[in-house]
Amino acid sequence: MAGKIKIAINKIIEDRSKGNATLATTTRTKMLLKGIDVNSYNEHSPDDPAILKKVKEVADELGINILI
Amino acid sequence: MSIKVSYSTQKEIVRAAHDLKSQFGTLNPALVIFFASTAFDPASISKVMHDTFSPATVFGCSTSGELVSGAMLKNSIVAMAFDAASVKSTHIEILQNVKTEKNIRPKIKTMLGAFEKYAKCPALEIDVNKYLGLILIDGLSLSEERIMDAVGDLTNVTFIGGSAGDDLKFSATYIYAQGRVYTDAALFALLEPANGFDIIKTQSFQQTGKTLVATKVDEATRTVMEFDGQPAAKRYAEVLGTTVADVSKLFMKHPLGLMVNGEPFVRSPQRIDHGNVVFYCNIKEGMALSLLNSTDIIADTKKSIEAKQQTAGTISGIINFHCILRTLDLEQQGATDQYGKVFANIPSIGFSTYGEEYIGHINQTSTMVVFK
Repeated sequence: MAGKIKIAINKIIEDRSKGNATLATTTRTKMLLKGIDVNSYNEHSPDDPAILKKVKEVADELGINILI
Repeated sequence: MSIKVSYSTQKEIVRAAHDLKSQFGTLNPALVIFFASTAFDPASISKVMHDTFSPATVFGCSTSGELVSGAMLKNSIVAMAFDAASVKSTHIEILQNVKTEKNIRPKIKTMLGAFEKYAKCPALEIDVNKYLGLILIDGLSLSEERIMDAVGDLTNVTFIGGSAGDDLKFSATYIYAQGRVYTDAALFALLEPANGFDIIKTQSFQQTGKTLVATKVDEATRTVMEFDGQPAAKRYAEVLGTTVADVSKLFMKHPLGLMVNGEPFVRSPQRIDHGNVVFYCNIKEGMALSLLNSTDIIADTKKSIEAKQQTAGTISGIINFHCILRTLDLEQQGATDQYGKVFANIPSIGFSTYGEEYIGHINQTSTMVVFK
Protein backbone atom coordinates (compact mmCIF):
# COMPACT_ATOMS: atom_id res chain seq x y z
CA MET A 1 0.00 0.00 0.00
CA ALA A 2 1.27 3.51 -0.73
CA GLY A 3 0.05 7.04 -1.16
CA LYS A 4 -1.85 7.45 2.13
CA ILE A 5 0.30 10.41 3.22
CA LYS A 6 -0.49 12.33 0.04
CA ILE A 7 -4.21 11.52 0.34
CA ALA A 8 -4.24 12.73 3.94
CA ILE A 9 -2.38 15.95 3.11
CA ASN A 10 -4.73 16.72 0.21
CA LYS A 11 -7.80 16.14 2.42
CA ILE A 12 -6.48 18.52 5.07
CA ILE A 13 -5.87 21.22 2.47
CA GLU A 14 -9.21 20.70 0.71
CA ASP A 15 -11.29 20.63 3.90
CA ARG A 16 -9.56 23.60 5.44
CA SER A 17 -9.57 25.81 2.34
CA LYS A 18 -13.01 24.80 0.94
CA GLY A 19 -11.93 25.62 -2.60
CA ASN A 20 -10.34 28.98 -1.78
CA ALA A 21 -6.95 29.03 -3.56
CA THR A 22 -5.41 31.58 -1.17
CA LEU A 23 -6.45 29.56 1.86
CA ALA A 24 -5.07 26.41 0.21
CA THR A 25 -1.68 28.12 -0.12
CA THR A 26 -1.85 29.34 3.47
CA THR A 27 -2.78 25.87 4.71
CA ARG A 28 0.15 24.33 2.84
CA THR A 29 2.45 26.95 4.40
CA LYS A 30 1.06 26.22 7.88
CA MET A 31 1.73 22.52 7.36
CA LEU A 32 5.29 23.21 6.17
CA LEU A 33 5.89 25.34 9.26
CA LYS A 34 4.56 22.44 11.37
CA GLY A 35 7.22 20.21 9.81
CA ILE A 36 5.18 18.37 7.16
CA ASP A 37 6.92 18.70 3.81
CA VAL A 38 3.72 18.71 1.74
CA ASN A 39 5.65 18.70 -1.54
CA SER A 40 7.62 15.54 -0.79
CA TYR A 41 4.85 12.98 -1.04
CA ASN A 42 2.94 11.48 -3.95
CA GLU A 43 0.72 8.51 -4.71
CA HIS A 44 3.74 6.20 -4.67
CA SER A 45 5.21 7.35 -1.33
CA PRO A 46 5.40 4.54 1.23
CA ASP A 47 2.94 4.76 4.12
CA ASP A 48 5.51 5.64 6.78
CA PRO A 49 3.68 5.17 10.12
CA ALA A 50 5.69 7.93 11.84
CA ILE A 51 4.80 10.46 9.12
CA LEU A 52 1.17 9.36 9.06
CA LYS A 53 1.01 9.85 12.83
CA LYS A 54 2.44 13.36 12.45
CA VAL A 55 -0.01 14.19 9.63
CA LYS A 56 -2.89 13.02 11.83
CA GLU A 57 -1.65 15.27 14.65
CA VAL A 58 -1.51 18.22 12.27
CA ALA A 59 -5.01 17.42 11.00
CA ASP A 60 -6.28 17.41 14.59
CA GLU A 61 -4.57 20.76 15.25
CA LEU A 62 -6.21 22.24 12.15
CA GLY A 63 -9.61 20.82 13.13
CA ILE A 64 -9.80 18.38 10.22
CA ASN A 65 -11.06 14.84 10.65
CA ILE A 66 -9.02 12.27 8.74
CA LEU A 67 -8.95 8.48 9.06
CA ILE A 68 -5.47 6.97 8.96
CA MET B 1 -11.37 58.35 4.04
CA SER B 2 -8.07 59.39 5.52
CA ILE B 3 -4.96 57.71 6.84
CA LYS B 4 -2.19 60.00 8.04
CA VAL B 5 1.20 59.45 9.59
CA SER B 6 3.35 61.53 11.87
CA TYR B 7 6.49 61.32 13.89
CA SER B 8 8.12 63.18 16.75
CA THR B 9 11.61 63.39 18.13
CA GLN B 10 10.49 65.55 21.05
CA LYS B 11 11.94 64.01 24.20
CA GLU B 12 9.18 65.15 26.55
CA ILE B 13 6.25 62.78 26.22
CA VAL B 14 3.33 65.22 26.37
CA ARG B 15 5.06 67.47 23.80
CA ALA B 16 5.74 64.44 21.59
CA ALA B 17 2.08 63.35 21.70
CA HIS B 18 0.86 66.86 20.92
CA ASP B 19 3.42 67.10 18.11
CA LEU B 20 1.97 63.92 16.59
CA LYS B 21 -1.59 65.19 16.99
CA SER B 22 -0.84 68.53 15.36
CA GLN B 23 0.60 66.76 12.33
CA PHE B 24 -2.67 64.85 11.88
CA GLY B 25 -4.36 68.19 11.24
CA THR B 26 -8.13 67.98 11.01
CA LEU B 27 -8.22 64.18 10.84
CA ASN B 28 -10.46 62.91 13.64
CA PRO B 29 -8.95 59.53 14.46
CA ALA B 30 -10.97 56.42 15.23
CA LEU B 31 -7.76 54.42 15.55
CA VAL B 32 -4.15 55.38 16.29
CA ILE B 33 -1.31 52.87 16.04
CA PHE B 34 2.07 53.96 17.34
CA PHE B 35 5.57 52.61 17.76
CA ALA B 36 7.88 54.21 20.29
CA SER B 37 11.52 53.97 21.24
CA THR B 38 12.24 52.77 24.78
CA ALA B 39 13.76 56.21 25.29
CA PHE B 40 10.18 57.05 26.31
CA ASP B 41 9.01 55.76 29.68
CA PRO B 42 6.63 52.94 28.72
CA ALA B 43 3.87 53.55 31.25
CA SER B 44 3.85 57.26 30.50
CA ILE B 45 3.89 56.99 26.71
CA SER B 46 0.95 54.58 26.70
CA LYS B 47 -1.13 56.72 29.05
CA VAL B 48 -0.34 60.01 27.35
CA MET B 49 -1.01 58.66 23.86
CA HIS B 50 -4.32 57.23 25.04
CA ASP B 51 -5.31 60.49 26.76
CA THR B 52 -4.21 62.63 23.80
CA PHE B 53 -6.18 60.69 21.20
CA SER B 54 -9.14 59.53 23.28
CA PRO B 55 -11.80 58.41 22.34
CA ALA B 56 -9.83 56.71 19.54
CA THR B 57 -8.62 53.15 20.03
CA VAL B 58 -4.88 53.49 20.65
CA PHE B 59 -2.31 50.70 20.67
CA GLY B 60 1.31 50.00 19.79
CA CYS B 61 4.60 48.71 21.11
CA SER B 62 8.22 49.50 21.84
CA THR B 63 10.85 49.26 19.14
CA SER B 64 14.46 48.95 18.13
CA GLY B 65 14.12 51.84 15.71
CA GLU B 66 11.19 53.47 13.97
CA LEU B 67 10.17 53.96 10.36
CA VAL B 68 7.99 56.67 8.86
CA SER B 69 7.41 57.80 5.28
CA GLY B 70 10.80 58.81 3.97
CA ALA B 71 12.93 58.05 7.00
CA MET B 72 14.41 55.51 9.35
CA LEU B 73 14.60 56.97 12.85
CA LYS B 74 15.82 56.24 16.35
CA ASN B 75 14.64 57.46 19.75
CA SER B 76 11.41 58.69 18.21
CA ILE B 77 7.73 57.90 18.15
CA VAL B 78 5.82 57.27 14.93
CA ALA B 79 2.06 57.09 14.59
CA MET B 80 -0.60 56.28 12.03
CA ALA B 81 -4.11 57.69 12.41
CA PHE B 82 -7.19 56.25 10.72
CA ASP B 83 -10.47 58.11 10.51
CA ALA B 84 -13.76 56.23 10.86
CA ALA B 85 -14.13 56.12 7.07
CA SER B 86 -10.84 54.24 6.62
CA VAL B 87 -11.23 51.66 9.38
CA LYS B 88 -14.83 50.76 10.14
CA SER B 89 -14.08 48.97 13.40
CA THR B 90 -11.26 47.78 15.62
CA HIS B 91 -11.37 45.28 18.42
CA ILE B 92 -8.32 44.45 20.55
CA GLU B 93 -7.54 41.68 23.01
CA ILE B 94 -4.48 41.16 25.21
CA LEU B 95 -3.03 37.79 26.15
CA GLN B 96 -0.74 37.86 29.19
CA ASN B 97 1.89 35.48 30.59
CA VAL B 98 2.76 34.27 27.10
CA LYS B 99 6.34 33.35 28.05
CA THR B 100 5.40 30.84 30.75
CA GLU B 101 2.15 29.52 29.28
CA LYS B 102 3.23 26.29 27.58
CA ASN B 103 -0.27 25.23 26.59
CA ILE B 104 -1.31 28.46 24.96
CA ARG B 105 -3.96 27.05 22.62
CA PRO B 106 -6.90 27.18 25.10
CA LYS B 107 -6.06 30.81 25.87
CA ILE B 108 -5.91 31.69 22.17
CA LYS B 109 -9.27 29.93 21.72
CA THR B 110 -10.78 32.01 24.52
CA MET B 111 -9.28 35.17 23.03
CA LEU B 112 -10.68 34.35 19.60
CA GLY B 113 -14.04 33.81 21.29
CA ALA B 114 -14.15 37.55 21.88
CA PHE B 115 -13.54 38.13 18.17
CA GLU B 116 -16.27 35.61 17.33
CA LYS B 117 -18.78 37.64 19.36
CA TYR B 118 -17.57 40.77 17.62
CA ALA B 119 -17.66 39.29 14.08
CA LYS B 120 -20.83 37.29 14.92
CA CYS B 121 -19.52 33.99 13.57
CA PRO B 122 -17.12 31.16 14.48
CA ALA B 123 -13.42 32.01 14.24
CA LEU B 124 -12.92 29.72 11.26
CA GLU B 125 -15.71 31.50 9.38
CA ILE B 126 -14.61 35.11 9.97
CA ASP B 127 -14.44 36.72 6.53
CA VAL B 128 -10.72 36.83 5.68
CA ASN B 129 -11.23 39.53 3.05
CA LYS B 130 -13.18 41.80 5.36
CA TYR B 131 -11.12 41.49 8.55
CA LEU B 132 -7.40 41.94 9.11
CA GLY B 133 -5.54 40.76 12.19
CA LEU B 134 -2.60 42.68 13.63
CA ILE B 135 -0.38 41.12 16.25
CA LEU B 136 2.31 42.59 18.49
CA ILE B 137 4.22 40.23 20.77
CA ASP B 138 6.77 40.73 23.54
CA GLY B 139 10.01 40.24 21.58
CA LEU B 140 11.81 38.58 24.49
CA SER B 141 9.08 36.05 25.32
CA LEU B 142 10.16 33.17 23.02
CA SER B 143 6.41 32.65 22.53
CA GLU B 144 5.88 33.78 18.96
CA GLU B 145 5.92 30.34 17.32
CA ARG B 146 3.42 28.85 19.78
CA ILE B 147 1.12 31.84 19.43
CA MET B 148 1.18 31.97 15.62
CA ASP B 149 0.75 28.19 15.40
CA ALA B 150 -2.34 28.24 17.62
CA VAL B 151 -3.83 31.31 15.92
CA GLY B 152 -3.28 29.71 12.51
CA ASP B 153 -4.99 26.52 13.66
CA LEU B 154 -8.07 28.26 15.03
CA THR B 155 -8.78 30.92 12.42
CA ASN B 156 -8.06 31.69 8.76
CA VAL B 157 -7.89 35.44 9.43
CA THR B 158 -4.44 36.74 8.49
CA PHE B 159 -2.67 37.92 11.59
CA ILE B 160 0.39 39.93 10.65
CA GLY B 161 2.76 41.86 12.85
CA GLY B 162 6.00 41.90 14.72
CA SER B 163 7.86 41.24 17.92
CA ALA B 164 8.36 44.35 20.02
CA GLY B 165 11.93 45.60 20.47
CA ASP B 166 13.85 47.59 23.06
CA ASP B 167 16.61 49.41 21.23
CA LEU B 168 18.90 46.36 21.32
CA LYS B 169 19.09 46.33 25.12
CA PHE B 170 17.39 42.90 25.28
CA SER B 171 16.06 43.78 28.70
CA ALA B 172 12.29 44.39 28.41
CA THR B 173 9.89 45.10 25.57
CA TYR B 174 6.44 46.64 25.90
CA ILE B 175 2.99 46.37 24.40
CA TYR B 176 0.74 49.43 24.68
CA ALA B 177 -3.03 49.27 24.65
CA GLN B 178 -5.65 51.80 25.68
CA GLY B 179 -3.40 53.62 28.11
CA ARG B 180 -1.93 50.53 29.75
CA VAL B 181 1.45 48.85 29.30
CA TYR B 182 2.18 45.13 29.23
CA THR B 183 5.22 42.89 29.19
CA ASP B 184 5.17 39.14 28.64
CA ALA B 185 2.08 39.71 26.54
CA ALA B 186 0.66 39.69 23.02
CA LEU B 187 -1.84 42.13 21.54
CA PHE B 188 -4.32 40.94 18.92
CA ALA B 189 -6.26 43.51 16.93
CA LEU B 190 -9.06 42.69 14.53
CA LEU B 191 -9.55 45.53 12.09
CA GLU B 192 -12.18 46.11 9.43
CA PRO B 193 -10.42 48.29 6.80
CA ALA B 194 -12.98 50.15 4.72
CA ASN B 195 -11.29 49.68 1.35
CA GLY B 196 -9.61 46.34 1.78
CA PHE B 197 -6.02 45.42 2.42
CA ASP B 198 -3.18 43.29 1.15
CA ILE B 199 0.07 41.86 2.46
CA ILE B 200 3.67 42.18 1.34
CA LYS B 201 6.27 39.76 2.64
CA THR B 202 9.72 40.61 1.35
CA GLN B 203 13.08 39.21 2.26
CA SER B 204 16.30 39.80 0.34
CA PHE B 205 17.82 36.39 -0.22
CA GLN B 206 18.35 33.85 -2.95
CA GLN B 207 18.96 30.12 -2.66
CA THR B 208 22.51 28.79 -2.94
CA GLY B 209 21.42 25.31 -3.97
CA LYS B 210 22.76 23.89 -0.69
CA THR B 211 20.47 22.35 1.90
CA LEU B 212 20.84 21.55 5.58
CA VAL B 213 18.53 19.09 7.31
CA ALA B 214 18.00 19.74 11.02
CA THR B 215 18.46 16.26 12.46
CA LYS B 216 18.51 17.13 16.18
CA VAL B 217 16.84 20.20 17.69
CA ASP B 218 15.56 21.74 20.88
CA GLU B 219 12.56 23.72 19.68
CA ALA B 220 11.88 25.49 22.95
CA THR B 221 15.30 27.18 22.94
CA ARG B 222 15.42 27.59 19.15
CA THR B 223 18.59 25.51 19.09
CA VAL B 224 19.81 23.11 16.42
CA MET B 225 22.29 20.58 17.77
CA GLU B 226 22.83 18.68 14.53
CA PHE B 227 22.54 19.35 10.82
CA ASP B 228 22.77 16.31 8.56
CA GLY B 229 23.74 14.15 11.53
CA GLN B 230 26.78 16.28 12.33
CA PRO B 231 27.43 18.95 15.01
CA ALA B 232 25.41 21.94 13.82
CA ALA B 233 28.09 24.66 13.88
CA LYS B 234 30.61 22.39 12.16
CA ARG B 235 28.17 21.49 9.37
CA TYR B 236 27.03 25.10 8.89
CA ALA B 237 30.68 26.19 8.61
CA GLU B 238 31.37 23.37 6.18
CA VAL B 239 28.64 24.36 3.73
CA LEU B 240 29.82 27.97 3.90
CA GLY B 241 33.42 26.92 3.28
CA THR B 242 34.70 28.39 6.53
CA THR B 243 35.66 27.41 10.09
CA VAL B 244 33.54 27.11 13.22
CA ALA B 245 35.57 30.02 14.65
CA ASP B 246 34.53 32.28 11.75
CA VAL B 247 31.10 31.04 10.70
CA SER B 248 29.11 33.42 12.91
CA LYS B 249 30.55 36.36 10.94
CA LEU B 250 28.66 35.05 7.92
CA PHE B 251 25.31 34.47 9.64
CA MET B 252 23.67 37.76 8.66
CA LYS B 253 24.41 37.29 4.97
CA HIS B 254 23.74 33.53 4.94
CA PRO B 255 20.75 32.53 7.04
CA LEU B 256 18.57 29.51 6.29
CA GLY B 257 15.16 29.43 4.64
CA LEU B 258 12.20 27.09 4.79
CA MET B 259 11.20 27.24 1.14
CA VAL B 260 7.52 27.75 0.34
CA ASN B 261 6.67 28.06 -3.37
CA GLY B 262 10.21 29.22 -4.06
CA GLU B 263 10.14 31.89 -1.35
CA PRO B 264 12.04 31.55 1.94
CA PHE B 265 10.53 31.79 5.40
CA VAL B 266 13.85 32.89 6.86
CA ARG B 267 15.43 31.34 9.94
CA SER B 268 18.29 33.54 11.12
CA PRO B 269 21.13 32.09 13.15
CA GLN B 270 21.99 34.11 16.25
CA ARG B 271 25.03 32.53 17.80
CA ILE B 272 27.07 29.39 18.39
CA ASP B 273 26.63 27.74 21.76
CA HIS B 274 28.90 24.77 22.54
CA GLY B 275 28.83 23.60 18.93
CA ASN B 276 25.08 24.14 18.60
CA VAL B 277 23.51 26.90 16.52
CA VAL B 278 20.90 29.04 18.28
CA PHE B 279 18.40 30.74 15.96
CA TYR B 280 16.03 33.67 16.24
CA CYS B 281 13.11 31.36 15.54
CA ASN B 282 12.53 27.67 16.02
CA ILE B 283 13.32 24.90 13.60
CA LYS B 284 11.47 21.58 13.61
CA GLU B 285 13.42 18.36 13.62
CA GLY B 286 13.59 16.96 10.09
CA MET B 287 13.13 20.35 8.39
CA ALA B 288 15.16 20.72 5.20
CA LEU B 289 16.39 24.29 4.98
CA SER B 290 17.96 26.10 2.09
CA LEU B 291 21.22 27.99 2.67
CA LEU B 292 20.65 31.55 1.47
CA ASN B 293 22.74 34.38 0.00
CA SER B 294 21.75 37.97 0.70
CA THR B 295 20.62 40.27 -2.11
CA ASP B 296 19.83 43.99 -2.33
CA ILE B 297 17.31 45.02 0.38
CA ILE B 298 16.50 48.36 -1.22
CA ALA B 299 16.06 47.09 -4.76
CA ASP B 300 13.98 44.14 -3.57
CA THR B 301 11.78 46.32 -1.35
CA LYS B 302 11.19 48.83 -4.16
CA LYS B 303 10.27 46.00 -6.50
CA SER B 304 7.81 44.54 -3.96
CA ILE B 305 6.11 47.90 -3.39
CA GLU B 306 5.90 48.65 -7.12
CA ALA B 307 4.49 45.20 -7.83
CA LYS B 308 1.84 45.73 -5.15
CA GLN B 309 0.99 49.17 -6.54
CA GLN B 310 0.41 47.51 -9.93
CA THR B 311 -1.97 44.91 -8.53
CA ALA B 312 -3.59 46.76 -5.64
CA GLY B 313 -3.86 50.18 -7.25
CA THR B 314 -3.87 53.03 -4.74
CA ILE B 315 -2.03 52.38 -1.51
CA SER B 316 -3.46 54.54 1.30
CA GLY B 317 -1.03 53.36 3.96
CA ILE B 318 1.56 50.77 4.89
CA ILE B 319 2.58 49.38 8.26
CA ASN B 320 6.05 47.83 7.96
CA PHE B 321 7.21 45.21 10.46
CA HIS B 322 10.89 45.34 9.55
CA CYS B 323 13.46 43.02 11.05
CA ILE B 324 16.18 44.65 13.17
CA LEU B 325 18.72 42.51 11.30
CA ARG B 326 17.71 44.26 8.07
CA THR B 327 18.06 47.61 9.85
CA LEU B 328 21.56 46.67 11.06
CA ASP B 329 22.49 45.52 7.55
CA LEU B 330 21.27 48.83 6.09
CA GLU B 331 23.18 50.75 8.75
CA GLN B 332 26.36 48.86 7.92
CA GLN B 333 25.88 49.79 4.27
CA GLY B 334 25.10 53.43 5.11
CA ALA B 335 21.78 52.91 3.29
CA THR B 336 19.09 53.77 5.86
CA ASP B 337 18.20 57.04 4.14
CA GLN B 338 17.82 55.24 0.83
CA TYR B 339 15.55 52.63 2.45
CA GLY B 340 13.42 55.32 4.07
CA LYS B 341 13.00 57.04 0.71
CA VAL B 342 11.42 53.90 -0.79
CA PHE B 343 8.34 54.84 1.28
CA ALA B 344 8.61 58.61 0.80
CA ASN B 345 5.36 58.95 -1.16
CA ILE B 346 3.31 56.43 0.82
CA PRO B 347 1.84 57.20 4.26
CA SER B 348 3.74 54.58 6.22
CA ILE B 349 5.00 53.74 9.66
CA GLY B 350 6.85 50.78 11.00
CA PHE B 351 9.45 49.63 13.42
CA SER B 352 12.56 47.48 13.68
CA THR B 353 11.32 44.25 15.18
CA TYR B 354 12.78 41.30 17.04
CA GLY B 355 10.96 39.04 14.58
CA GLU B 356 8.09 39.21 12.14
CA GLU B 357 4.78 37.39 12.21
CA TYR B 358 2.97 36.17 9.10
CA ILE B 359 1.51 32.66 9.17
CA GLY B 360 4.48 31.82 11.42
CA HIS B 361 7.35 33.56 13.16
CA ILE B 362 10.09 34.60 10.75
CA ASN B 363 13.31 36.61 10.60
CA GLN B 364 15.16 39.05 8.34
CA THR B 365 11.92 39.93 6.58
CA SER B 366 9.64 42.91 6.15
CA THR B 367 6.06 41.88 6.61
CA MET B 368 3.80 44.77 5.59
CA VAL B 369 0.12 45.52 5.76
CA VAL B 370 -1.02 47.51 2.74
CA PHE B 371 -4.22 49.52 3.23
CA LYS B 372 -5.93 50.14 -0.11
